[in-house]
Amino acid sequence: MAKEKIAAPPEQKHELRREVSVWGSYMWGYADVGANTFVALGLVMAYAQGAASLVFAIAGLTYVLIGLAYTELASTYPVSGGGPYYTLRSLGDFWGFVAGSGLLLAYTIDIALFAVASAGYLNFFMPYVLGKEIEQFVIAFGPFQVNWLWGCETLFLILILIWLNIKGIKESSFLNEVIGIIVIVLESSLIVLGLIFAWKPELLASQWINQFPTFKSFTYSVSLAIISFIGLESISQAAQETKRPATIIPRTSLALTFSVFIFAVSFSTLGLGVLPWQRFAENVDNPLAVLASSFPLVGLIAGPLTAALGALILFISSNTGIMGASRLTYSFSQYGIISSWFGQVHRKYRTPVRTILVFSLIGIVQTILSFLTPSVMETLAIMYAFGATLGYTLVFIALIKLRFSDPYSPRPYKIPLNLNFKYKTLKVQFPILALVGMLAVGTIFSQIILTNKIGRIAGPLWVIACFVYYAWYRKKEGLPVFRSAKHDWEKEQIEVLTSAEEFDLLEQYKNSLAERDKKRVRLK
Amino acid sequence: MILVEVSVLGAILAFIFAISMGGLLWWMLHPPAMVGAAVAKARRSLGAIKRILVPTTGIPYSERGVEMACRLGLEQNAEIVLTYVIEVPRTLPLGVPLEDAEEKGRQALDRAKEIVYLHELTPIALLERAREAAEGIIRVATEKEVDLIVVGIRPSLRGAQHIFLGRTSDTLLRRAPCEVLLDKLPD
Repeated sequence: MAKEKIAAPPEQKHELRREVSVWGSYMWGYADVGANTFVALGLVMAYAQGAASLVFAIAGLTYVLIGLAYTELASTYPVSGGGPYYTLRSLGDFWGFVAGSGLLLAYTIDIALFAVASAGYLNFFMPYVLGKEIEQFVIAFGPFQVNWLWGCETLFLILILIWLNIKGIKESSFLNEVIGIIVIVLESSLIVLGLIFAWKPELLASQWINQFPTFKSFTYSVSLAIISFIGLESISQAAQETKRPATIIPRTSLALTFSVFIFAVSFSTLGLGVLPWQRFAENVDNPLAVLASSFPLVGLIAGPLTAALGALILFISSNTGIMGASRLTYSFSQYGIISSWFGQVHRKYRTPVRTILVFSLIGIVQTILSFLTPSVMETLAIMYAFGATLGYTLVFIALIKLRFSDPYSPRPYKIPLNLNFKYKTLKVQFPILALVGMLAVGTIFSQIILTNKIGRIAGPLWVIACFVYYAWYRKKEGLPVFRSAKHDWEKEQIEVLTSAEEFDLLEQYKNSLAERDKKRVRLK
Repeated sequence: MILVEVSVLGAILAFIFAISMGGLLWWMLHPPAMVGAAVAKARRSLGAIKRILVPTTGIPYSERGVEMACRLGLEQNAEIVLTYVIEVPRTLPLGVPLEDAEEKGRQALDRAKEIVYLHELTPIALLERAREAAEGIIRVATEKEVDLIVVGIRPSLRGAQHIFLGRTSDTLLRRAPCEVLLDKLPD
């Protein structure tokens, strides 16, 4: 019978290596999230106007809730599936697949969007290298106007990243760590120097008072600003390759959440105190380079330096997209959501080479398609937000449900503000902030669906396309489409904690299960 | 000559930014040390003790045993089962009225409960009868499925008392269905 079929993880001859350190884990997340400000600042300023700092703070608070939820879940279940895994474990295979399709879209778009943006920042130097502006390389391709050089640059960057990821997490992690340190130092320097030497509080106050946006623009800009916080998922995606994940991940995840929040609010506050918001709206491709160029004395150097910095961080952000997509599908192949063909690990490099190749190629296709639209960046950004908010909404629901269905797994970190009560014979803590987060992200998701054509049409089409494959594969394997196959979560949790060398948590988990079994015997 | 205006408020904000980021990264880069498998097993095995039995006789040493049990069970919010076993001689029926002994037992249990309440734990008080104290204690331990028995005994025992308490302790150590902890102070 179909429902009797077990989709538990198969025995793997080659498992992912635990190579990612504390700094590496942080940088996987920072590389993804930290880059978003380089892309989003101009877009958000165009709608948020004088209230940009407030908009970033509001979107940032939603992001903090997402961060807290991921911190709890990733430290409780240190496996590589991330949000879709938590959803699968909590709500079942089908909803796990839905969350996965959303986040897979976000990852593949991440590859495309940030490679495009990275190449865009490199194009800042085009006049010095080729003596021409990048706009001069646009050609007519049927009814479309395509910038072939920018497109080729983007594809070249993606190919480099594919090679690095196939070689292995250590190499890719090293790349992230080195570039990440440079980026954080330079970004911090930009904020500190800008605040001391270029920031004018009276300009900020004037824009706040006189150029506050309409309510419609304000709410739309909050939706846009959430784009600048997407990517925290990367840390949990790397959980299965992180050393002592249940100990390390709460720290890296919380540090990332708050540092990105600080950066985003600081940059928007700095920007409004240095230049009128219109300057950012006019330069959505390189808003931070414009900001740095306007600094007194150092502007001539800071502008090109920021452009180079932007290209670097966007490049590693694109890398985390490849990493996340490949790890997510690798995880799904183990739970019978997609074919085990994807889960094959390379004998020499011990990386999921097929998933890296397949989903990087999807990223390449998305890149090419986006170059055919009038606004490359906007198309990709909207799809990015659609996928991520769909996944995050389900992750919040999963967190709440897991508090009831799996109170036995030790939680090294718990989202604060819990309501204690008894559920059946168990003492359960209901996470109030998870409910608030679910409503906040759900509202942003609804707004994307209701107000944007691309989000409304292309987003659901992607999910439907994934569903067609999912339904075909599940039928082929004799697994139920809408119900869940059997999973031995307890056995898996013990194996995961053992392999992660989280012995303290392992003992806590075993004790909780033993106590539960004892209670069951007593009740009988 | 180019003059650069310095914003004092900006400098304060820059300082707050630098401190916040520096503190955050420092905290992140200093995770707690790894706990080995053997250490974790030893540490958490104590956490698995959810129900502790303490036989009390009303003497200060057995009440010290109650205090010790409370401290052992504090972290995991363990239930503290308190029992006072009235030893009924074999020459009498087990249900014979023994008002004095019962009153003494109730008082001992009340004092023990007071100690437990001070730790905000849950006491379960049982007044039992048995031919021998050890027999009653083991019966309670089995029925209540306790994880640990904590017994506070006198530091210096003489004559009959020595034989009596020594026999109880000996029987508990040999026949108890769970872990046993004897607390004997030095003479």
